[in-house]
Amino acid sequence: MQKVTRRQLFDKLFLRAQAAERSEKKPKPRWAMVIDLKKCIGCDTCTVSCKAENRTPPGVTYNVVLTEEKGETPHVTLVHIPRPCMQCDRPPCAQVCPVKATYKLKNGITAIDYERCIGCRYCITACPYGARYFDFGESYVTEMLGYEEIQAPEYGVQRGKRQGQKAPQGTARKCHFCFHRLQRDEEPACVETCLGDARYFGDLNDPNSIVSKLAKSPRAFHLKEEMGTHPRVIYLK
Amino acid sequence: MSIQINQMKKNMFQSGKKPLLTLWYVFLIAVLALGAVAVGLRFSQGLATTHLTSAMPWGAWVAFYIYFVGMSAGAFLLSSLIHVFDMEHLEEVGRDATLVAIICMILALCFILLDLGHMERFWHSLWYWNFTSILSWEVRFYGLYILLLLAELYFALRHDLVLASRGEGLKATLAGILKLGSNDTSAEGQERDKRMLKILGSIGIPIAIFGVHGGTGVLFAVVKAQAYWNSALFPVVFVISALVSGTALLTALYVIRSRISGKEIDISLVKSLAGWMVLFLLIDVGLQFFEILIGAYGLEEQELATLAAIFASDFSWSYWGVQMGIGVLVPLILYFNPGTRRSPTAMMLAGIAVVIGILGVRFNIVVPALTVPVLKGLPSGYYYPTWVEWASSGGIIGLGLLLYTLAIRYLPIDVE
Repeated sequence: MQKVTRRQLFDKLFLRAQAAERSEKKPKPRWAMVIDLKKCIGCDTCTVSCKAENRTPPGVTYNVVLTEEKGETPHVTLVHIPRPCMQCDRPPCAQVCPVKATYKLKNGITAIDYERCIGCRYCITACPYGARYFDFGESYVTEMLGYEEIQAPEYGVQRGKRQGQKAPQGTARKCHFCFHRLQRDEEPACVETCLGDARYFGDLNDPNSIVSKLAKSPRAFHLKEEMGTHPRVIYLK
Repeated sequence: MSIQINQMKKNMFQSGKKPLLTLWYVFLIAVLALGAVAVGLRFSQGLATTHLTSAMPWGAWVAFYIYFVGMSAGAFLLSSLIHVFDMEHLEEVGRDATLVAIICMILALCFILLDLGHMERFWHSLWYWNFTSILSWEVRFYGLYILLLLAELYFALRHDLVLASRGEGLKATLAGILKLGSNDTSAEGQERDKRMLKILGSIGIPIAIFGVHGGTGVLFAVVKAQAYWNSALFPVVFVISALVSGTALLTALYVIRSRISGKEIDISLVKSLAGWMVLFLLIDVGLQFFEILIGAYGLEEQELATLAAIFASDFSWSYWGVQMGIGVLVPLILYFNPGTRRSPTAMMLAGIAVVIGILGVRFNIVVPALTVPVLKGLPSGYYYPTWVEWASSGGIIGLGLLLYTLAIRYLPIDVE
């Protein structure tokens, strides 16, 4: 047997411990959202809080709640389907973008590079969920004093005043799971404000996260699964 | 409007008086000036000057863009067929076809440039290449295609340019520049030009069919979110309708220009061109029928809603009236009616009718599919162009007419 000094043993153990610590470091998160349709009351709080958070102009609504009437009177039920961007794992928008302005981030969010987008709007026609909007440069300034004074720090970038025809005016825009809030360990605004607590947000790489568990529920489904887009927004029937 | 313009043009030139030519230029300048005002507004206020919305992201400019790409591809295919297959009886329109193809392509690119949210970033589409984006490929094909067209026009005109440069005046100076240093007027030189035209045509035919116009069809066909576009037949119909519009435009142009210059009209040439036009038109209508039938047969909701938007909505006059009435019924009647089929004027009118009809086809591709929301509960699109969109479109077309008028005046386009 090889002789090992106390010093060598200590080093070995120490290094191993270091390596173990390194491997224990969590893998990068893969963000996902679960929306429980049984809990959604169709109050549109998510839509409003999203507009407030991202300061989106008229005509640009990252989140909407679609309401469908099912059955005939008097046996009618209303089904509310909140629709953010699905952050597809195989996004048709990124597929068609001629300049790679739309692309997948490692954390699963489908991002738009406002400085690269040429505003051709091909992605808007290509999204099966109608989740993309074009910023025509409209403003709430007549209704809301100081609307143009500051823009939301989307994708963690300080954008200053909304003025001229500066991007994101003239580019495509959409929900990004409140990327800038995730950066400071906060949930997306729609999740935080949901009255019925119908929305869950978390990491699919963590098997113990609530979204990972709910994703396995028999109630779980995606919108337009047949499109092969592999959305990251999971609905519960 | 196009009929009026062409009629005006015809009448003016027929009399051979200078003031009428001046009137034509005044008219073009008026159209261009109005267009410039509209384009100026679009520059200063962005796309808010259009009736486009997020629900209806593409409109008139995109329709005009695919219209002119199609017209260009159609005219080019016709000219290439003439060069490659030695269809000598059609050679008279060969140069005209190449010229028209170039001008139409310039117009198409003007339209799509105007449609960009950030026009100053147009170069991004060449610098950043997304391998999976059809649009990204198309931009490159358009560039390649324009270079090829310019080369083809050069070899078609080279001999005559050299001859023309020996004269005096503006025409000679221009020819002297455009002949690019060539002074060869030998028979071998002409043979070489013919060979080059054959080679360029052979390269160009697949590029025009699969790259330029088939590719523009694929651009729509790959969009799975729009059920109506998402069909493999779509690019095929694009190519056939390109041939329809290309032959139609050349038929009309040939008759109009012969009338203006007072040259004798070659009836067999007109009949041959119109015959090709009608053949392509019938194939086009047949394929469109299959496309609609197969789409409807699937009973898929979005597809049915799109068909309903085409056939029975506020704008279905553009299908029944423009696309089917003016674009199909009128030319077929003119061509098959024994009383009119031998008249060049009737064939010219048939050509003009088809050129207008195909514009309806292009609008009916872009607009109705987008009016149908992709998810139930999302807003429906509703779209008709603003005056800024119409006036700027008119301006761009006026630019094309001006370029064409100048080109036939100062370049040896007509075969002597």
